Amino acid sequence: MSKRSFSLQLAAISWLLLVSVVTVLALRQGPLFDSSIMALLPKSDRQPLVQNATEQMAERFSKRLILLLAGANEEKVRTAVGSLAESLTALPETSSVVWRVDDNEIADYQTELFPYRFSVIDTGIRKLSLSGDYKLIKDRALLRLYSPLSVGKSSIIEDPFGLFPALSLNRYGGLNLDVSQSLLKVTGTELPTYMLMVTLAGDPFSPQLQSKILDAVAAKESQLNQSGVTVSMSGMLLHAAAGAQQAKTEISTIGLGSLLGIIITMLLIFRQFKPLILMLFPVAIGCITAAAVTMLIFGRVHLVTFAFGAGLVGVSIDYALHFLCERRVSSSGHILRKILPGLLLGLLSSVIAYAAQALAPFPGLRQMAVFSVVGLSASWLTVVLWFPLLTHRDSKQPLAVADKLDGVRKRFPRIEGNPVLIMLLLITTVVAASSLWNSRSQDDIRLLQTSPTSLLAQEQSVQKTLGISSSSQFLLISADTLEQCLQKEELLIPRLEKLQAAGLLSGYQAVSSVLPSMRRQAENVALMQRLYDQQLTPFYGLLKVSASGYSDARLSLERAEKLRLTPDVWQQQQGSESWKDLIVKNDESAATVIRLSGALDDEVRQKLMAISDTESGVSYIDQVQNISELMGTYRSQIIQWVMMAYLCVLLILLLRYKTQVWRVVMPPLLASVITLAVLVQLEQGINLFHLMALILVLGIGLDMGIFLMETGEAAHTWLAVSLSTYTSLLAFGLLALSDTPVLHHFGLTVLIGLALVWLLAPLMRKDNSGDIHS
Amino acid sequence: MRYLLILILLLSPIALRAEITSHAEVTFAQLEQISTSPESLDGRFSQEKYLAALDASLLSSGVFSYRRGESIRWETLEPIQNELFMTPTTIVNRQGEQELVRLEKDTNPAVTVLSEIFFSVLTAEWAKLSVYFDLSGQLDGDQWRAELIPVDHSVMQVVSRVELRGDTLLRELILHESGGDRTTIRFDSLSQ
Repeated sequence: MSKRSFSLQLAAISWLLLVSVVTVLALRQGPLFDSSIMALLPKSDRQPLVQNATEQMAERFSKRLILLLAGANEEKVRTAVGSLAESLTALPETSSVVWRVDDNEIADYQTELFPYRFSVIDTGIRKLSLSGDYKLIKDRALLRLYSPLSVGKSSIIEDPFGLFPALSLNRYGGLNLDVSQSLLKVTGTELPTYMLMVTLAGDPFSPQLQSKILDAVAAKESQLNQSGVTVSMSGMLLHAAAGAQQAKTEISTIGLGSLLGIIITMLLIFRQFKPLILMLFPVAIGCITAAAVTMLIFGRVHLVTFAFGAGLVGVSIDYALHFLCERRVSSSGHILRKILPGLLLGLLSSVIAYAAQALAPFPGLRQMAVFSVVGLSASWLTVVLWFPLLTHRDSKQPLAVADKLDGVRKRFPRIEGNPVLIMLLLITTVVAASSLWNSRSQDDIRLLQTSPTSLLAQEQSVQKTLGISSSSQFLLISADTLEQCLQKEELLIPRLEKLQAAGLLSGYQAVSSVLPSMRRQAENVALMQRLYDQQLTPFYGLLKVSASGYSDARLSLERAEKLRLTPDVWQQQQGSESWKDLIVKNDESAATVIRLSGALDDEVRQKLMAISDTESGVSYIDQVQNISELMGTYRSQIIQWVMMAYLCVLLILLLRYKTQVWRVVMPPLLASVITLAVLVQLEQGINLFHLMALILVLGIGLDMGIFLMETGEAAHTWLAVSLSTYTSLLAFGLLALSDTPVLHHFGLTVLIGLALVWLLAPLMRKDNSGDIHS
Repeated sequence: MRYLLILILLLSPIALRAEITSHAEVTFAQLEQISTSPESLDGRFSQEKYLAALDASLLSSGVFSYRRGESIRWETLEPIQNELFMTPTTIVNRQGEQELVRLEKDTNPAVTVLSEIFFSVLTAEWAKLSVYFDLSGQLDGDQWRAELIPVDHSVMQVVSRVELRGDTLLRELILHESGGDRTTIRFDSLSQ
């Protein structure tokens, strides 16, 4: 064994060792997948605070699973709630299950705010006080006293004007829930409906967690359905599970179909198992390494990255096939020297195109770039390092199919010296380009939506029933201290109320409405002191309350008037539970959010943006809008970076191929233009995912041109590139059948694009094609 | 809020048929069987509200009228004037022409529950009451007495006990609050 071949073996073995180490490291970390749209939002050009607020809301949402149980027989529903809660609580995958409220908690909830009745007051009473209408407050208190329907607990001495009952009546506001015999009953529903809220102990994307929880629900559900109780749910977990389920189904149908197609073809052509296994080896190494490195760098792999990153398989198979086909006509000693320049150029062109995306400030694109570059390089290295060793003993065995396929190619007209064909191509290109020029792009958020519509409908109905406000539109208020945030909110709220009164806004949730600023609380106390000064004497006069009663009441006011509901005290209270997450930051600086509910139209959005522009420290955040804009930005960024990358590739190719460079670049270029034009007609506009697929088409197309040029358009090279086109068509083109919009767009583009590249390439061939046997 | 619910439950005019003759313990089912719900009912009421903190009672009186499925108007005439108007979707408190308090079904979920139970009780669905109370009492000729104890602890914290007395119709209602306050309502001049 020569020294050179020994060092080659050493390199090959070290390479596999490196791959194993990286994979083991990634596996130890545990495979995590992410399908949250939020994860694709760019971090760097967003304020960290906005990011923080968004993430906090998303985090809370993602770990929450809400179950609604409804049925005609109330007792059965109540029993069902108990038994379902019991089985869910028993799971280690849940950190809490909220379904019943203890008597003590109710008592606490009802009385915890009582000491603060003078500093935290009902907005109606505050408005009357501000306009000096104290008499009306007294009249209402009198009515309340005589009414058969007294609302809530109050004491004639400690709270003669019923400040506390008025407050607690209006504090209901959060969700459409009521405590009915210790259980959480949804109000305003046709059938008796009860709620359970589960907080997950782990990541909703973890498959084990998904199956444990959903299995537990499903086990109970069939039993419950028999007793007439239906279960509806809302939560990220469901979407994550549905996404995983759909991916599984499609992999096992579309994926299996394409895999079988590829295996059968390879066996028919090579009539051996070995080439098939050899072909899959670098692809597998590429995918594993790419997934492992991406996971190590980013912590988790986004499903979108996976979908597109997997596209590199199509490109990486090029290298293997090129080697294997060429090996049939070249000896073991010569092959690498012969094809290495082509392989290197092929790798370079694809890596540059993918790497360019890493420069864009988008986490999604960065992930995809890392995934693709690592995957391609790993496959390439595996081919170059291992294939010479693995095929060392194989003899030269030209393939009969190569000649047949070459014959097919030769029947194609050549573009050189064929003015009719040139004109035809030119006209097609011009028509395609002009239709592209006039086309609209499509950046709809629904493109990213992978959940089945039934699930989305269920989600919406649960949210509507409970009156949950959207977490995607909100006002972010930031200041140095929480007190300043609250004061700012208090200034904003009259403007929001005006919008609400005009019917533009269906509602809002602001923490300052339950936790007023210290300044506001002091104001309130002053107002209530005036109320006592003016109205207590006439009020007690009517009721013939004794003088000692009067002084008791004044004493009670004096004792309570110094009390303030501080944020610290408030945080400890039961009532703050559902409001706490509106405070997103409270340390060296503070931030709160005002959540807006209902669908906001353009008019109200304009107004909210105007508020956000004029008020310092107030910004209007609209995730839906942001995501649509984000998709547009991704789209234009990809076009920019990839175009620049291909200009670089063009320069490199120009250096090597001089005037012949058009033979390499024209087929993928023309194919791309025509594909886009066809997509515009078929799919109402170009979106991000069409472009992602086009990079794959360009990659395979350029490889095709480069390999053909490097071997003088040999018949076995033509076979290799045809096979790689064919396998990619099977592997990705079939995704056009997928129900997931993202995958469908991707697949359709690959299908049309690669077919066109393959048809266009022979038109650009040299005259002297054929095998050069060495 | 519970308190409000219970009152509405109890204030619903319950017409009982006169064929109650035997002396026996009553059940909700029995009451359900013997009660009918009139299309409308009008009458006078007098109310005595005992406030433990003052050790004194507030007296008031007025008229009420009930239209099945539509509304209940509860009008206090003495010593102050006040009208409480309840429909399945709203509760409005009026003084003269001035609307003092309005609780909408849409914006106040408590009203939703309230009106739900409210109007079903008015069609003499005693079963609804059985969700909230345990019943004991006696039938004695054409007189009956009943005592309701809340089964729900959260209700119990506001109302400890309710006493009902009637013959062909409900005549008296005493509501004991956990704080020691007590509201007694007597009905007379009832006409269907």
